[in-house]
Amino acid sequence: MPVITIQHVTKKFGDTVVLKDFSAEFSDGEFITLLGPSGCGKTTMLRMLAGFEKPTEGEILIDGVTVNSATAFVPPEKRGIGMVFQSYAVWPHMNVFDNVAYPLKIQKKPKDEIRAKVEKILEIVHLSQYAKRMPSELSGGQQQRVALGRALVGEPKMLLLDEPLSNLDAKLREQMRFEIKEIQESLHINVVYVTHDRSEAMTMSDRVFVINSGVIQQADSPYEIYTHPANQFVADFAGDINFLKGVSEGGRIRLKGVDDVLAYDGDLTGDVDVAIRPEQIRIVPDKGHIRGRILNEYFMGDVDDCRVKVGEAELRVAADASVYRRFGKHEEIGLDIADFLVFPDTGDQFRKILT
Amino acid sequence: MNPAKNHCFDIKWVLMLAVVAFLLVFQVFPLLYMVFRMFFASGHFSMDAVKRIYSYALNRTCLKNTLVASGLTMVFGVLIAFPLAFLIGRTNLYGKTLFRTLFVTTYMVPPYVGAMAWLRLLNPTVGTLNVFLKNLFGLSGAPFSIYSIGGLVWVLTTFYYPYAFITISRAMEKMDPSLEEAARISGASPLKTLITVTLPLMLPSIAASALLVFVAAASCYGIPSIIGVPGRIYTVTTRIVDYVYVGSQEGLTDATALAVFLMVMALILMLLSDFIVGKKDYITISGKSVRPALVDLGKWRVPLTVLVAVFALIVAVLPFVTVFATSFTVNMGKSVFVPGNFTMKYWGILTSRKSIGKSMRNSVLSAVWAASMGMIVCLLMSYLLKRTKVKGRQIPNFLITLGSGTPSVAIALALIMTMSGRFGINIYNTMLIMVIAYMIKYMMMGMQTVSAAFAQVSPSMEEAAQISGAGWLRRIRDVVLPLIVPSIVAGWFLIFMPCFYELTMSNLLYADQTKTLGVELYNYQTYHSQQTASALAGGILIMVVLCNTLIYKLTKGRVSI
Repeated sequence: MPVITIQHVTKKFGDTVVLKDFSAEFSDGEFITLLGPSGCGKTTMLRMLAGFEKPTEGEILIDGVTVNSATAFVPPEKRGIGMVFQSYAVWPHMNVFDNVAYPLKIQKKPKDEIRAKVEKILEIVHLSQYAKRMPSELSGGQQQRVALGRALVGEPKMLLLDEPLSNLDAKLREQMRFEIKEIQESLHINVVYVTHDRSEAMTMSDRVFVINSGVIQQADSPYEIYTHPANQFVADFAGDINFLKGVSEGGRIRLKGVDDVLAYDGDLTGDVDVAIRPEQIRIVPDKGHIRGRILNEYFMGDVDDCRVKVGEAELRVAADASVYRRFGKHEEIGLDIADFLVFPDTGDQFRKILT
Repeated sequence: MNPAKNHCFDIKWVLMLAVVAFLLVFQVFPLLYMVFRMFFASGHFSMDAVKRIYSYALNRTCLKNTLVASGLTMVFGVLIAFPLAFLIGRTNLYGKTLFRTLFVTTYMVPPYVGAMAWLRLLNPTVGTLNVFLKNLFGLSGAPFSIYSIGGLVWVLTTFYYPYAFITISRAMEKMDPSLEEAARISGASPLKTLITVTLPLMLPSIAASALLVFVAAASCYGIPSIIGVPGRIYTVTTRIVDYVYVGSQEGLTDATALAVFLMVMALILMLLSDFIVGKKDYITISGKSVRPALVDLGKWRVPLTVLVAVFALIVAVLPFVTVFATSFTVNMGKSVFVPGNFTMKYWGILTSRKSIGKSMRNSVLSAVWAASMGMIVCLLMSYLLKRTKVKGRQIPNFLITLGSGTPSVAIALALIMTMSGRFGINIYNTMLIMVIAYMIKYMMMGMQTVSAAFAQVSPSMEEAAQISGAGWLRRIRDVVLPLIVPSIVAGWFLIFMPCFYELTMSNLLYADQTKTLGVELYNYQTYHSQQTASALAGGILIMVVLCNTLIYKLTKGRVSI
């Protein structure tokens, strides 16, 4: 049985439609990420799971119990959920211990049990020595852990995280990613994680729901999202990518604005968008698959980040670092394309983030 | 060095020094002199004046009355304000916007208007509400008497709880809603969340607002003078004014001691209130502007809405209706709706009586001067505060805040003592002394508005003009002023309004030629005709509402009282 079932949920604020006919099932133990640009509706979905917002239409079931529908509503405090807020929401008038112990106190657990459980959780989030500190004496990262501990202490069946890492500095953010993932696996807990950061989504999730303008674009594993994006938006949002216009006919794609062609064995014909990830392109001295001119090079250490002009388009190429300065500026070079994606050219401005 | 730039630099400093000099001469010096005068009443240092505050029975009684009335007002004010702020800010109560507007409106109405209305409603013999309740429940006597400490506390509370309501509402708006949501998701019910999270987090603001209400109630003169004097309940403020009217040397010393006491208490409590809020600033603003999830009142939604509506009717509607009704009443013993008891006569008096016309002109003139001069001071001092790194740039702002916290009677008394020629300046009996008093008391309203506007105009905009070659005056004119003009106009009206209907200081400072509307209204209310006074009050109310609507429109809702 799925832990969460979302059936045809639509959410409107006044006349603005924030989520459109959202349906999904999250299974036991899954780490689910809702990924999308700000304003796409991901946070609203999370807040509906928590019970802070009510769907305009549709139903939500947690553990088979209807928590949101036209007739039923279970308030947040009755849902048995843990949640970490973007602003941490650590209560400034309680010390670390009291913050974490709060859910257990509400459940009127005996004192000994509270102490034991809080201490265990503080150990898990590496805050044992800070139990008596006030939140104002903690760093952002430590407050984050308090929030996480508080969300976990009641042993909820589900943990909701609302962009929990966005207020941390880059290094800490990366470290916390792995810690959250580790905790999730060791406690075998269901997680719904909201973020606009694709690398967070990629590293932690079992499944990623890519959302744009209130509509699920694709729901799949990070690998599938990256390698087989459902459309241009997902391809673009899941990682750096170059787009070229082309026409597909007779097993080849003729790129517009240049004479070059790419071999293609797919089914699409007519106007297409060809999408190529920067790391799938190799710079070669001979003719290669397509011809281009080097515009600029940025040495990044591990790669040589090049801008290459192909016809009217500008491609980003993550070339091998050893290629750096092997070719001069404006020198004509060949590009080998190891892999590329083809989408029908619908004329949509998919890169524009629709809010 | 660019010579042009140097020149503008000078203008800036000349203007600012002039303002600082003004504050020192007309605010700091008189108030300090008053303190000095208290200790040196007889030419040499003595604590006698201080002792007389509590040893002289007349003083002791008024002191007790003030402390008791203000203390009770503070308690009731907060007890009313916090639930109201929560219901309106955080729940799905019906008609929240309307209620908020109603409660906030009370804040800008002159307090004496409320006193007049409640006098008429709860007069022990003929009070409309008393008679109504007597008939309704078949009582033998009137249930309430306005001429009592209870009556005084009631009117003070209905007029000063908005101070707490506004302060607490603002703090609640600024609080990160996820702090409460975190409690809900941890399993706490809405009520439990309110008690364990919201209330403790709001405590500093509640404490600060309680002190504000206490100070406002203790400094108030309009309400106790209209209710307390006929009821023989004297407070510190009414006693001071009496002493000044009597004018004896001894009385003046007593007045000074009481005024200093009131001022020191008010300023200490005000600074304490600032300190509490500044020290325990729990208020965190969330990274995301999430609309707070409203607490669903469920089955309590309708009963609570009715309760708040009844409260609003009694406190924010009934008094004003009463004032208007009174202004159309021929015979005060009967209802205005009794046939033949309706008249437009008293509104006619407003336009026909010469003395009223003159008072109105005086009020408008002095309020326009105070607002205009005040805004110039506010502009310069806001610039100093927000745009320069000068050492001590907070001092003028501090002085202006101090001035607004000083009880009106103390300001007026201090000006009388120092500006009557003793120190080479004699502006007693002129309009100027009133304008100065108004400025000291009300400039902060403008200062806050303009400072907030300055804070929103990024300094880099001004720097961009500077790098383009514009001098200081030019930059102010071309870049800063256009961006803050709505706030300047709003600030101007925020000073203008309370000056226009000011009573306390005017009552002490006016001369025959400079009588103002507030004084005129007070005299009609106390000695001549309550109906004429009500018509005057009605006119003032209409003007206040118009001004506030204008301010609201000008600042697109950001500033209004």
